[in-house]
Amino acid sequence: MQDESGRIEETRCLGENYYLLKINTPLIAREAKPGNFVMVRVSPSLDPLLRRPFGILQSDPPHIWLYFQVKGRGTTLLKNHQCGDRLDILGPLGNFFPELPGKKILLIAGGRGIVPLFGYAKTHAAQQPLVLLYGGRSAADLHLLAELGAMPLHKSHIFSEDGSCGEKGLLTSGLEKIITEQRPDATMACGPEAMLAALAKMLKAKKMENYVSLEAMMGCGFGVCHSCVVTAADGRYRKVCDEGPVFPLEEIRWPT
Amino acid sequence: MADLSVDLGFCRLKNPLIPASGTFGYGEEFSPFMDLDILGALVLKGIYKDARPGNPPPRLCETPAGLLNSIGLAGPGADELQNVIRHLGAATRTPIIVNVCGQDDGEFAEVAAIFAAMPEVAMLELNISCPNVKKGGVCPAQDDKHTFRLVKLVKAHINKPLIVKLSPNAVDIVAVARSAQEAGADALSLVNTFLGLAVDLEKRRPVFANTLAGLSGPAIKPLALKLVWEVCRQVRIPVIGMGGITSGRDVLEYILVGAAAVQFGTVNFCEPAAAVRILAELEKEMERLQINSLAEIKGKLQV
Repeated sequence: MQDESGRIEETRCLGENYYLLKINTPLIAREAKPGNFVMVRVSPSLDPLLRRPFGILQSDPPHIWLYFQVKGRGTTLLKNHQCGDRLDILGPLGNFFPELPGKKILLIAGGRGIVPLFGYAKTHAAQQPLVLLYGGRSAADLHLLAELGAMPLHKSHIFSEDGSCGEKGLLTSGLEKIITEQRPDATMACGPEAMLAALAKMLKAKKMENYVSLEAMMGCGFGVCHSCVVTAADGRYRKVCDEGPVFPLEEIRWPT
Repeated sequence: MADLSVDLGFCRLKNPLIPASGTFGYGEEFSPFMDLDILGALVLKGIYKDARPGNPPPRLCETPAGLLNSIGLAGPGADELQNVIRHLGAATRTPIIVNVCGQDDGEFAEVAAIFAAMPEVAMLELNISCPNVKKGGVCPAQDDKHTFRLVKLVKAHINKPLIVKLSPNAVDIVAVARSAQEAGADALSLVNTFLGLAVDLEKRRPVFANTLAGLSGPAIKPLALKLVWEVCRQVRIPVIGMGGITSGRDVLEYILVGAAAVQFGTVNFCEPAAAVRILAELEKEMERLQINSLAEIKGKLQV
Protein backbone atom coordinates (compact mmCIF):
# COMPACT_ATOMS: atom_id res chain seq x y z
CA MET A 1 0.00 0.00 0.00
CA GLN A 2 1.44 3.31 -1.12
CA ASP A 3 0.38 6.94 -0.97
CA GLU A 4 1.81 8.10 -4.25
CA SER A 5 1.63 11.26 -6.32
CA GLY A 6 0.59 9.93 -9.72
CA ARG A 7 1.00 11.83 -12.98
CA ILE A 8 -1.80 11.70 -15.53
CA GLU A 9 -0.31 10.73 -18.89
CA GLU A 10 -3.42 10.15 -20.95
CA THR A 11 -7.07 11.11 -20.72
CA ARG A 12 -9.69 9.65 -22.99
CA CYS A 13 -13.40 10.40 -23.19
CA LEU A 14 -15.37 7.30 -24.17
CA GLY A 15 -18.61 8.90 -25.22
CA GLU A 16 -20.98 10.58 -22.85
CA ASN A 17 -19.90 10.51 -19.20
CA TYR A 18 -17.29 7.75 -19.41
CA TYR A 19 -13.58 8.41 -19.10
CA LEU A 20 -10.27 6.59 -19.12
CA LEU A 21 -7.19 7.89 -17.31
CA LYS A 22 -3.70 6.54 -17.66
CA ILE A 23 -1.70 7.45 -14.58
CA ASN A 24 1.99 6.98 -13.92
CA THR A 25 2.17 5.45 -10.43
CA PRO A 26 5.15 3.07 -10.45
CA LEU A 27 4.85 1.92 -6.84
CA ILE A 28 1.12 1.25 -6.96
CA ALA A 29 1.20 -0.24 -10.46
CA ARG A 30 3.93 -2.68 -9.44
CA GLU A 31 1.84 -4.08 -6.57
CA ALA A 32 -1.64 -3.97 -8.12
CA LYS A 33 -3.59 -7.16 -8.78
CA PRO A 34 -6.85 -7.59 -10.72
CA GLY A 35 -9.66 -6.55 -8.39
CA ASN A 36 -7.65 -4.05 -6.32
CA PHE A 37 -8.77 -0.44 -6.10
CA VAL A 38 -7.27 2.94 -5.29
CA MET A 39 -8.44 6.00 -3.35
CA VAL A 40 -7.93 9.16 -5.38
CA ARG A 41 -7.82 12.71 -4.06
CA VAL A 42 -9.77 14.45 -6.79
CA SER A 43 -9.00 17.96 -5.57
CA PRO A 44 -6.16 19.45 -3.52
CA SER A 45 -8.67 21.54 -1.53
CA LEU A 46 -10.51 20.50 1.62
CA ASP A 47 -13.81 20.38 -0.26
CA PRO A 48 -14.53 17.70 -1.22
CA LEU A 49 -12.73 16.27 1.74
CA LEU A 50 -12.65 12.56 1.11
CA ARG A 51 -10.81 10.61 -1.54
CA ARG A 52 -12.87 8.59 -3.96
CA PRO A 53 -12.54 4.86 -4.59
CA PHE A 54 -11.86 3.67 -8.14
CA GLY A 55 -11.27 0.14 -9.31
CA ILE A 56 -8.06 -0.41 -11.22
CA LEU A 57 -9.02 -1.30 -14.77
CA GLN A 58 -5.57 -2.47 -15.63
CA SER A 59 -2.10 -2.29 -14.20
CA ASP A 60 0.63 -1.94 -16.75
CA PRO A 61 3.66 -0.86 -14.70
CA PRO A 62 4.53 1.97 -14.27
CA HIS A 63 0.94 2.85 -15.18
CA ILE A 64 -2.51 2.11 -13.89
CA TRP A 65 -5.66 2.76 -15.88
CA LEU A 66 -8.86 4.04 -14.34
CA TYR A 67 -12.21 3.81 -16.12
CA PHE A 68 -15.10 5.71 -14.62
CA GLN A 69 -18.51 7.15 -15.23
CA VAL A 70 -19.21 10.74 -14.19
CA LYS A 71 -21.88 10.43 -11.54
CA GLY A 72 -21.28 13.20 -9.02
CA ARG A 73 -18.97 15.89 -7.79
CA GLY A 74 -15.89 13.71 -7.31
CA THR A 75 -15.99 12.13 -10.74
CA THR A 76 -16.72 15.53 -12.33
CA LEU A 77 -13.59 16.97 -10.72
CA LEU A 78 -11.57 13.94 -11.76
CA LYS A 79 -12.59 14.11 -15.42
CA ASN A 80 -11.57 17.77 -15.56
CA HIS A 81 -7.93 16.90 -14.90
CA GLN A 82 -5.48 17.22 -17.77
CA CYS A 83 -2.41 15.35 -18.90
CA GLY A 84 0.50 16.30 -16.68
CA ASP A 85 -1.68 16.92 -13.61
CA ARG A 86 -0.75 15.08 -10.47
CA LEU A 87 -3.14 13.20 -8.21
CA ASP A 88 -2.59 11.80 -4.72
CA ILE A 89 -3.39 8.12 -5.01
CA LEU A 90 -3.55 5.56 -2.23
CA GLY A 91 -3.28 1.94 -3.23
CA PRO A 92 -3.40 -0.76 -4.22
CA LEU A 93 -6.17 -1.46 -1.74
CA GLY A 94 -8.44 -4.36 -0.93
CA ASN A 95 -8.22 -7.97 -1.96
CA PHE A 96 -8.46 -9.36 -5.48
CA PHE A 97 -10.09 -12.11 -7.48
CA PRO A 98 -8.58 -15.50 -6.66
CA GLU A 99 -6.31 -17.44 -8.94
CA LEU A 100 -8.17 -20.54 -10.10
CA PRO A 101 -5.61 -22.28 -12.33
CA GLY A 102 -7.02 -24.43 -15.12
CA LYS A 103 -10.63 -23.63 -14.25
CA LYS A 104 -13.15 -22.33 -16.73
CA ILE A 105 -14.42 -19.00 -15.47
CA LEU A 106 -17.48 -17.00 -16.45
CA LEU A 107 -16.84 -13.27 -16.04
CA ILE A 108 -20.09 -11.34 -15.57
CA ALA A 109 -19.87 -7.56 -15.93
CA GLY A 110 -22.74 -5.10 -15.69
CA GLY A 111 -21.76 -1.67 -17.09
CA ARG A 112 -18.89 -0.21 -15.05
CA GLY A 113 -18.62 -3.62 -13.44
CA ILE A 114 -16.22 -4.45 -16.23
CA VAL A 115 -13.47 -2.66 -14.28
CA PRO A 116 -12.15 -5.41 -11.96
CA LEU A 117 -12.87 -8.12 -14.54
CA PHE A 118 -11.00 -6.43 -17.38
CA GLY A 119 -7.64 -6.80 -15.65
CA TYR A 120 -8.44 -10.37 -14.70
CA ALA A 121 -9.33 -11.19 -18.30
CA LYS A 122 -6.18 -9.55 -19.59
CA THR A 123 -3.85 -11.43 -17.26
CA HIS A 124 -5.59 -14.81 -17.33
CA ALA A 125 -7.14 -15.24 -20.80
CA ALA A 126 -4.03 -16.86 -22.25
CA GLN A 127 -3.75 -19.40 -19.42
CA GLN A 128 -7.29 -20.61 -18.92
CA PRO A 129 -10.70 -20.55 -20.64
CA LEU A 130 -12.56 -17.34 -19.81
CA VAL A 131 -16.11 -16.67 -20.93
CA LEU A 132 -17.29 -13.06 -20.82
CA LEU A 133 -20.85 -11.96 -20.21
CA TYR A 134 -21.02 -8.16 -20.47
CA GLY A 135 -24.17 -6.08 -20.45
CA GLY A 136 -25.49 -2.55 -20.08
CA ARG A 137 -28.47 -0.37 -20.83
CA SER A 138 -27.22 0.52 -24.32
CA ALA A 139 -24.12 0.65 -26.49
CA ALA A 140 -23.33 3.96 -24.74
CA ASP A 141 -22.68 2.01 -21.53
CA LEU A 142 -20.51 -0.67 -23.11
CA HIS A 143 -16.96 0.28 -23.84
CA LEU A 144 -13.63 -1.45 -24.19
CA LEU A 145 -15.19 -3.99 -26.53
CA ALA A 146 -12.29 -3.64 -28.95
CA GLU A 147 -9.76 -4.22 -26.16
CA LEU A 148 -11.76 -7.18 -24.85
CA GLY A 149 -12.06 -8.53 -28.38
CA ALA A 150 -8.28 -8.53 -28.70
CA MET A 151 -7.95 -10.84 -25.70
CA PRO A 152 -7.90 -14.61 -26.30
CA LEU A 153 -11.23 -15.09 -24.54
CA HIS A 154 -12.89 -18.47 -24.94
CA LYS A 155 -16.23 -16.81 -25.72
CA SER A 156 -17.94 -13.41 -25.32
CA HIS A 157 -21.63 -12.62 -24.92
CA ILE A 158 -22.69 -8.98 -25.10
CA PHE A 159 -26.13 -7.79 -24.01
CA SER A 160 -27.85 -4.40 -24.06
CA GLU A 161 -31.30 -3.62 -22.72
CA ASP A 162 -32.23 -1.54 -25.79
CA GLY A 163 -30.63 -3.89 -28.32
CA SER A 164 -28.17 -1.25 -29.56
CA CYS A 165 -25.25 -3.60 -28.98
CA GLY A 166 -25.10 -7.39 -28.89
CA GLU A 167 -28.22 -9.31 -27.88
CA LYS A 168 -31.23 -7.41 -26.60
CA GLY A 169 -32.08 -7.90 -22.95
CA LEU A 170 -30.64 -8.03 -19.47
CA LEU A 171 -27.41 -9.96 -19.18
CA THR A 172 -29.06 -12.13 -16.57
CA SER A 173 -31.46 -13.32 -19.29
CA GLY A 174 -28.52 -15.02 -21.01
CA LEU A 175 -26.98 -16.52 -17.90
CA GLU A 176 -28.86 -19.83 -17.73
CA LYS A 177 -28.16 -20.68 -21.36
CA ILE A 178 -24.49 -19.75 -21.14
CA ILE A 179 -23.99 -21.84 -18.01
CA THR A 180 -25.71 -24.80 -19.65
CA GLU A 181 -23.60 -24.49 -22.79
CA GLN A 182 -20.25 -23.51 -21.29
CA ARG A 183 -20.34 -25.36 -17.94
CA PRO A 184 -17.98 -22.97 -16.14
CA ASP A 185 -16.30 -24.00 -12.87
CA ALA A 186 -16.59 -20.54 -11.38
CA THR A 187 -18.10 -17.10 -11.87
CA MET A 188 -16.68 -13.67 -11.11
CA ALA A 189 -19.10 -10.78 -11.21
CA CYS A 190 -19.30 -7.04 -10.75
CA GLY A 191 -22.16 -4.66 -11.46
CA PRO A 192 -25.24 -2.97 -10.00
CA GLU A 193 -26.61 -4.43 -6.79
CA ALA A 194 -29.88 -5.54 -8.42
CA MET A 195 -27.91 -7.49 -11.00
CA LEU A 196 -25.74 -9.13 -8.36
CA ALA A 197 -28.77 -10.01 -6.25
CA ALA A 198 -30.39 -11.63 -9.30
CA LEU A 199 -27.18 -13.56 -9.98
CA ALA A 200 -27.02 -14.75 -6.38
CA LYS A 201 -30.54 -16.11 -6.71
CA MET A 202 -29.84 -17.80 -10.03
CA LEU A 203 -26.50 -19.29 -9.02
CA LYS A 204 -27.63 -20.52 -5.62
CA ALA A 205 -28.42 -24.04 -6.71
CA LYS A 206 -25.44 -24.39 -9.05
CA LYS A 207 -22.30 -26.10 -7.92
CA MET A 208 -19.75 -23.45 -8.80
CA GLU A 209 -17.39 -21.13 -7.02
CA ASN A 210 -18.88 -17.66 -7.29
CA TYR A 211 -17.13 -14.40 -6.48
CA VAL A 212 -18.37 -10.85 -6.55
CA SER A 213 -16.63 -7.48 -6.40
CA LEU A 214 -18.62 -4.85 -4.48
CA GLU A 215 -18.72 -1.07 -4.51
CA ALA A 216 -19.37 1.04 -1.43
CA MET A 217 -19.07 4.57 -0.22
CA MET A 218 -15.75 4.78 1.56
CA GLY A 219 -14.19 7.20 3.98
CA CYS A 220 -10.62 5.95 4.15
CA GLY A 221 -10.33 2.83 1.95
CA PHE A 222 -7.93 0.98 4.25
CA GLY A 223 -10.07 -0.37 7.05
CA VAL A 224 -9.97 2.40 9.62
CA CYS A 225 -13.23 4.33 9.38
CA HIS A 226 -15.64 1.35 9.22
CA SER A 227 -18.01 3.22 6.93
CA CYS A 228 -18.19 0.87 3.93
CA VAL A 229 -19.85 -2.11 5.56
CA VAL A 230 -22.21 -4.54 3.87
CA THR A 231 -24.31 -7.16 5.58
CA ALA A 232 -22.99 -10.68 5.25
CA ALA A 233 -25.16 -13.79 5.04
CA ASP A 234 -24.48 -14.47 8.74
CA GLY A 235 -25.87 -11.03 9.62
CA ARG A 236 -22.49 -9.56 10.49
CA TYR A 237 -21.04 -6.52 8.82
CA ARG A 238 -18.06 -6.86 6.50
CA LYS A 239 -15.90 -3.97 5.39
CA VAL A 240 -15.77 -3.70 1.60
CA CYS A 241 -12.43 -1.87 1.67
CA ASP A 242 -10.20 -4.30 3.51
CA GLU A 243 -12.24 -7.49 3.82
CA GLY A 244 -13.24 -7.10 0.14
CA PRO A 245 -14.04 -5.74 -2.34
CA VAL A 246 -14.09 -9.35 -3.59
CA PHE A 247 -16.30 -11.75 -1.62
CA PRO A 248 -17.69 -15.20 -2.27
CA LEU A 249 -21.16 -14.47 -3.67
CA GLU A 250 -22.91 -16.57 -1.03
CA GLU A 251 -21.21 -14.70 1.82
CA ILE A 252 -23.26 -11.57 1.15
CA ARG A 253 -26.85 -11.04 2.21
CA TRP A 254 -28.65 -9.87 -0.93
CA PRO A 255 -31.90 -7.89 -0.98
CA THR A 256 -34.86 -10.07 -1.86
CA MET B 1 14.89 23.95 16.53
CA ALA B 2 11.75 24.86 18.45
CA ASP B 3 10.72 22.87 21.50
CA LEU B 4 7.62 20.92 20.49
CA SER B 5 7.20 19.07 23.77
CA VAL B 6 4.08 19.58 25.84
CA ASP B 7 3.42 19.08 29.52
CA LEU B 8 0.16 17.46 30.52
CA GLY B 9 1.11 17.65 34.18
CA PHE B 10 1.00 13.89 34.67
CA CYS B 11 3.22 13.24 31.66
CA ARG B 12 5.26 14.99 29.03
CA LEU B 13 4.73 14.34 25.34
CA LYS B 14 7.46 14.96 22.80
CA ASN B 15 5.02 16.87 20.62
CA PRO B 16 1.33 17.83 20.79
CA LEU B 17 0.12 15.62 17.93
CA ILE B 18 -2.31 12.86 18.92
CA PRO B 19 -4.44 11.01 16.37
CA ALA B 20 -8.05 11.00 17.61
CA SER B 21 -10.06 7.97 18.58
CA GLY B 22 -12.00 6.34 15.78
CA THR B 23 -9.79 7.81 13.11
CA PHE B 24 -6.59 5.89 13.71
CA GLY B 25 -7.87 2.34 13.99
CA TYR B 26 -5.68 0.35 16.36
CA GLY B 27 -2.51 2.14 15.32
CA GLU B 28 -0.80 -0.43 13.16
CA GLU B 29 -3.03 0.32 10.15
CA PHE B 30 -0.97 3.50 9.84
CA SER B 31 2.49 1.97 10.12
CA PRO B 32 2.82 1.70 6.30
CA PHE B 33 2.54 5.50 6.17
CA MET B 34 4.61 6.68 9.11
CA ASP B 35 6.85 5.75 11.98
CA LEU B 36 4.35 5.69 14.84
CA ASP B 37 7.13 6.95 17.12
CA ILE B 38 6.84 10.43 15.60
CA LEU B 39 3.50 10.95 17.36
CA GLY B 40 3.09 12.64 20.72
CA ALA B 41 0.65 9.90 21.69
CA LEU B 42 -2.11 7.97 19.96
CA VAL B 43 -5.69 7.12 20.86
CA LEU B 44 -7.15 3.80 19.82
CA LYS B 45 -10.65 3.33 18.46
CA GLY B 46 -13.23 3.29 21.27
CA ILE B 47 -13.79 -0.05 22.98
CA TYR B 48 -16.62 -1.70 24.88
CA LYS B 49 -16.42 -4.88 26.95
CA ASP B 50 -17.98 -6.96 24.17
CA ALA B 51 -17.69 -6.83 20.40
CA ARG B 52 -20.14 -4.50 18.71
CA PRO B 53 -21.34 -4.54 15.12
CA GLY B 54 -21.97 -0.78 14.91
CA ASN B 55 -24.83 0.94 13.15
CA PRO B 56 -26.48 -0.21 9.91
CA PRO B 57 -25.22 1.37 6.69
CA PRO B 58 -25.15 4.01 5.35
CA ARG B 59 -22.62 5.23 7.90
CA LEU B 60 -21.09 8.17 6.12
CA CYS B 61 -22.24 11.30 4.35
CA GLU B 62 -19.83 13.88 3.00
CA THR B 63 -20.62 17.55 3.64
CA PRO B 64 -18.78 20.67 2.49
CA ALA B 65 -15.29 20.36 4.03
CA GLY B 66 -16.59 17.79 6.47
CA LEU B 67 -18.30 14.51 6.99
CA LEU B 68 -21.13 13.11 8.99
CA ASN B 69 -20.60 9.66 10.43
CA SER B 70 -22.83 7.19 12.14
CA ILE B 71 -20.42 4.31 12.70
CA GLY B 72 -21.76 3.45 16.14
CA LEU B 73 -18.49 2.36 17.75
CA ALA B 74 -18.10 -0.92 15.92
CA GLY B 75 -15.30 -2.86 17.55
CA PRO B 76 -13.86 -6.20 18.60
CA GLY B 77 -14.39 -6.06 22.38
CA ALA B 78 -11.94 -5.76 25.26
CA ASP B 79 -10.39 -9.25 25.07
CA GLU B 80 -9.27 -8.91 21.48
CA LEU B 81 -8.09 -5.35 21.93
CA GLN B 82 -5.75 -6.43 24.72
CA ASN B 83 -3.92 -8.66 22.25
CA VAL B 84 -3.77 -5.84 19.72
CA ILE B 85 -2.31 -3.51 22.35
CA ARG B 86 0.37 -6.03 23.30
CA HIS B 87 1.54 -6.07 19.68
CA LEU B 88 1.28 -2.32 19.32
CA GLY B 89 3.14 -1.74 22.57
CA ALA B 90 6.01 -3.83 21.25
CA ALA B 91 6.01 -1.88 17.97
CA THR B 92 6.08 1.70 19.26
CA ARG B 93 7.33 3.77 22.17
CA THR B 94 4.59 6.34 21.62
CA PRO B 95 2.21 6.51 24.60
CA ILE B 96 -0.95 4.53 23.91
CA ILE B 97 -4.28 5.93 25.03
CA VAL B 98 -7.28 3.61 25.21
CA ASN B 99 -10.65 5.19 24.50
CA VAL B 100 -13.08 3.59 26.93
CA CYS B 101 -16.79 3.16 26.22
CA GLY B 102 -19.66 1.66 28.17
CA GLN B 103 -23.35 1.02 27.84
CA ASP B 104 -23.75 2.00 31.47
CA ASP B 105 -21.57 3.39 34.25
CA GLY B 106 -20.56 -0.07 35.44
CA GLU B 107 -19.27 -1.07 32.01
CA PHE B 108 -17.25 2.15 31.70
CA ALA B 109 -15.57 1.32 35.02
CA GLU B 110 -15.02 -2.33 34.12
CA VAL B 111 -13.47 -1.58 30.73
CA ALA B 112 -11.32 1.20 32.20
CA ALA B 113 -9.99 -1.17 34.87
CA ILE B 114 -9.08 -3.82 32.28
CA PHE B 115 -6.95 -1.43 30.23
CA ALA B 116 -5.53 0.56 33.13
CA ALA B 117 -3.98 -2.72 34.28
CA MET B 118 -2.02 -3.10 31.05
CA PRO B 119 1.59 -1.86 31.21
CA GLU B 120 1.44 -0.93 27.51
CA VAL B 121 -1.34 1.58 28.18
CA ALA B 122 -0.16 5.05 29.25
CA MET B 123 -3.54 6.60 29.96
CA LEU B 124 -7.24 6.30 29.28
CA GLU B 125 -9.71 8.51 27.52
CA LEU B 126 -13.28 8.23 28.73
CA ASN B 127 -15.63 8.42 25.76
CA ILE B 128 -18.73 9.88 27.31
CA SER B 129 -19.50 11.91 24.21
CA CYS B 130 -20.17 9.66 21.23
CA PRO B 131 -23.37 10.86 19.55
CA ASN B 132 -23.90 7.70 17.52
CA VAL B 133 -24.82 5.10 20.08
CA LYS B 134 -28.19 6.11 21.45
CA LYS B 135 -31.04 7.51 19.41
CA GLY B 136 -31.01 11.29 19.44
CA GLY B 137 -27.29 11.42 20.25
CA VAL B 138 -27.81 11.25 24.00
CA CYS B 139 -24.58 10.68 25.94
CA PRO B 140 -23.34 11.21 29.54
CA ALA B 141 -21.32 14.29 28.53
CA GLN B 142 -24.52 16.22 27.95
CA ASP B 143 -25.21 16.21 31.67
CA ASP B 144 -22.78 17.63 34.27
CA LYS B 145 -24.16 15.52 37.11
CA HIS B 146 -23.91 12.27 35.18
CA THR B 147 -20.41 13.24 34.11
CA PHE B 148 -19.36 13.85 37.71
CA ARG B 149 -20.78 10.53 38.90
CA LEU B 150 -19.22 8.57 36.07
CA VAL B 151 -15.77 10.14 36.24
CA LYS B 152 -15.68 9.63 40.00
CA LEU B 153 -16.61 5.96 39.60
CA VAL B 154 -14.04 5.30 36.87
CA LYS B 155 -11.27 7.08 38.74
CA ALA B 156 -11.90 4.80 41.71
CA HIS B 157 -11.22 1.78 39.49
CA ILE B 158 -7.97 2.87 37.85
CA ASN B 159 -4.50 4.00 38.71
CA LYS B 160 -3.66 5.71 35.42
CA PRO B 161 -4.31 9.23 34.15
CA LEU B 162 -7.82 9.77 32.85
CA ILE B 163 -8.73 12.11 30.01
CA VAL B 164 -12.44 12.84 29.74
CA LYS B 165 -13.69 13.46 26.21
CA LEU B 166 -16.43 16.07 26.06
CA SER B 167 -19.31 16.64 23.72
CA PRO B 168 -20.01 19.89 21.87
CA ASN B 169 -23.67 18.96 22.08
CA ALA B 170 -23.93 19.70 25.81
CA VAL B 171 -26.02 22.74 26.63
CA ASP B 172 -23.22 24.02 28.88
CA ILE B 173 -19.90 22.38 28.06
CA VAL B 174 -18.08 24.49 30.66
CA ALA B 175 -20.31 23.08 33.41
CA VAL B 176 -19.60 19.54 32.21
CA ALA B 177 -15.88 20.30 32.03
CA ARG B 178 -15.89 21.61 35.60
CA SER B 179 -17.78 18.54 36.79
CA ALA B 180 -15.23 16.25 35.18
CA GLN B 181 -12.42 18.21 36.80
CA GLU B 182 -14.05 18.14 40.24
CA ALA B 183 -14.62 14.40 39.91
CA GLY B 184 -10.91 13.84 39.36
CA ALA B 185 -10.31 13.96 35.61
CA ASP B 186 -6.62 14.47 34.88
CA ALA B 187 -7.29 16.14 31.54
CA LEU B 188 -10.11 16.92 29.14
CA SER B 189 -10.31 16.35 25.43
CA LEU B 190 -12.77 18.27 23.30
CA VAL B 191 -14.68 18.20 21.16
CA ASN B 192 -16.26 15.05 19.88
CA THR B 193 -18.44 15.42 16.76
CA PHE B 194 -21.31 17.89 16.46
CA LEU B 195 -24.76 16.40 15.99
CA GLY B 196 -25.98 16.94 12.46
CA LEU B 197 -28.74 15.82 10.15
CA ALA B 198 -28.39 14.65 6.58
CA VAL B 199 -31.50 14.43 4.41
CA ASP B 200 -32.18 12.15 1.47
CA LEU B 201 -34.41 14.39 -0.64
CA GLU B 202 -35.48 11.62 -3.04
CA LYS B 203 -36.65 9.34 -0.25
CA ARG B 204 -37.76 12.25 1.95
CA ARG B 205 -36.05 10.56 4.86
CA PRO B 206 -32.94 11.07 6.97
CA VAL B 207 -29.84 9.52 5.39
CA PHE B 208 -28.92 7.74 8.62
CA ALA B 209 -30.89 5.07 10.45
CA ASN B 210 -30.27 6.91 13.75
CA THR B 211 -31.55 10.14 12.12
CA LEU B 212 -28.72 12.23 13.58
CA ALA B 213 -25.00 11.73 13.00
CA GLY B 214 -21.70 13.29 14.06
CA LEU B 215 -20.11 16.06 12.01
CA SER B 216 -16.32 16.35 11.89
CA GLY B 217 -13.64 17.79 9.64
CA PRO B 218 -12.44 21.30 8.79
CA ALA B 219 -16.06 22.53 8.69
CA ILE B 220 -16.28 22.38 12.50
CA LYS B 221 -12.96 24.05 13.34
CA PRO B 222 -14.23 27.51 14.30
CA LEU B 223 -16.98 26.01 16.45
CA ALA B 224 -14.62 23.61 18.18
CA LEU B 225 -11.93 26.24 18.66
CA LYS B 226 -14.45 28.46 20.41
CA LEU B 227 -15.46 25.68 22.82
CA VAL B 228 -11.83 24.81 23.57
CA TRP B 229 -11.11 28.48 24.26
CA GLU B 230 -14.10 28.75 26.62
CA VAL B 231 -13.25 25.59 28.54
CA CYS B 232 -9.53 26.38 28.80
CA ARG B 233 -10.36 29.63 30.57
CA GLN B 234 -12.51 27.85 33.14
CA VAL B 235 -10.55 24.75 34.17
CA ARG B 236 -7.18 24.07 35.82
CA ILE B 237 -6.49 20.72 34.20
CA PRO B 238 -4.94 20.41 30.73
CA VAL B 239 -7.20 20.45 27.71
CA ILE B 240 -6.53 18.52 24.52
CA GLY B 241 -8.21 20.41 21.71
CA MET B 242 -9.62 18.92 18.56
CA GLY B 243 -11.93 19.64 15.69
CA GLY B 244 -11.02 20.10 12.05
CA ILE B 245 -7.25 20.19 12.45
CA THR B 246 -5.50 19.63 9.13
CA SER B 247 -2.36 21.78 9.33
CA GLY B 248 0.48 23.02 11.51
CA ARG B 249 -1.22 26.39 11.65
CA ASP B 250 -4.37 24.79 13.03
CA VAL B 251 -2.32 23.18 15.81
CA LEU B 252 -0.84 26.54 16.81
CA GLU B 253 -4.31 28.12 16.88
CA TYR B 254 -5.53 25.50 19.34
CA ILE B 255 -2.43 25.95 21.54
CA LEU B 256 -2.92 29.71 21.43
CA VAL B 257 -6.48 29.45 22.75
CA GLY B 258 -5.19 27.34 25.64
CA ALA B 259 -4.97 23.70 24.56
CA ALA B 260 -2.03 21.76 25.95
CA ALA B 261 -2.04 19.31 23.03
CA VAL B 262 -4.28 18.48 20.08
CA GLN B 263 -6.00 15.53 18.51
CA PHE B 264 -6.58 15.35 14.77
CA GLY B 265 -9.04 12.94 13.28
CA THR B 266 -10.88 13.22 10.00
CA VAL B 267 -7.74 14.23 8.14
CA ASN B 268 -6.36 10.73 8.81
CA PHE B 269 -9.04 9.31 6.52
CA CYS B 270 -8.17 11.60 3.62
CA GLU B 271 -4.43 11.57 4.12
CA PRO B 272 -3.02 8.64 6.07
CA ALA B 273 0.38 10.31 6.45
CA ALA B 274 -1.20 13.56 7.68
CA ALA B 275 0.74 13.45 10.96
CA VAL B 276 4.06 13.59 9.13
CA ARG B 277 3.02 16.65 7.14
CA ILE B 278 1.37 18.42 10.08
CA LEU B 279 4.46 17.90 12.23
CA ALA B 280 6.72 19.35 9.53
CA GLU B 281 4.36 22.28 9.07
CA LEU B 282 4.24 22.90 12.80
CA GLU B 283 8.03 23.14 13.01
CA LYS B 284 8.16 25.43 10.00
CA GLU B 285 5.41 27.71 11.27
CA MET B 286 7.04 27.99 14.68
CA GLU B 287 10.30 28.93 13.01
CA ARG B 288 8.56 31.49 10.81
CA LEU B 289 6.71 33.01 13.75
CA GLN B 290 9.82 32.83 15.95
CA ILE B 291 8.10 30.69 18.55
CA ASN B 292 10.71 28.82 20.56
CA SER B 293 8.38 26.53 22.46
CA LEU B 294 4.68 25.73 22.54
CA ALA B 295 4.62 26.67 26.22
CA GLU B 296 5.53 30.18 25.12
CA ILE B 297 2.22 30.70 23.30
CA LYS B 298 -0.11 28.39 25.21
CA GLY B 299 -3.26 30.28 26.16
CA LYS B 300 -1.83 33.59 24.97
CA LEU B 301 -4.72 34.56 22.73
CA GLN B 302 -5.18 38.31 23.16
CA VAL B 303 -8.85 39.19 23.26
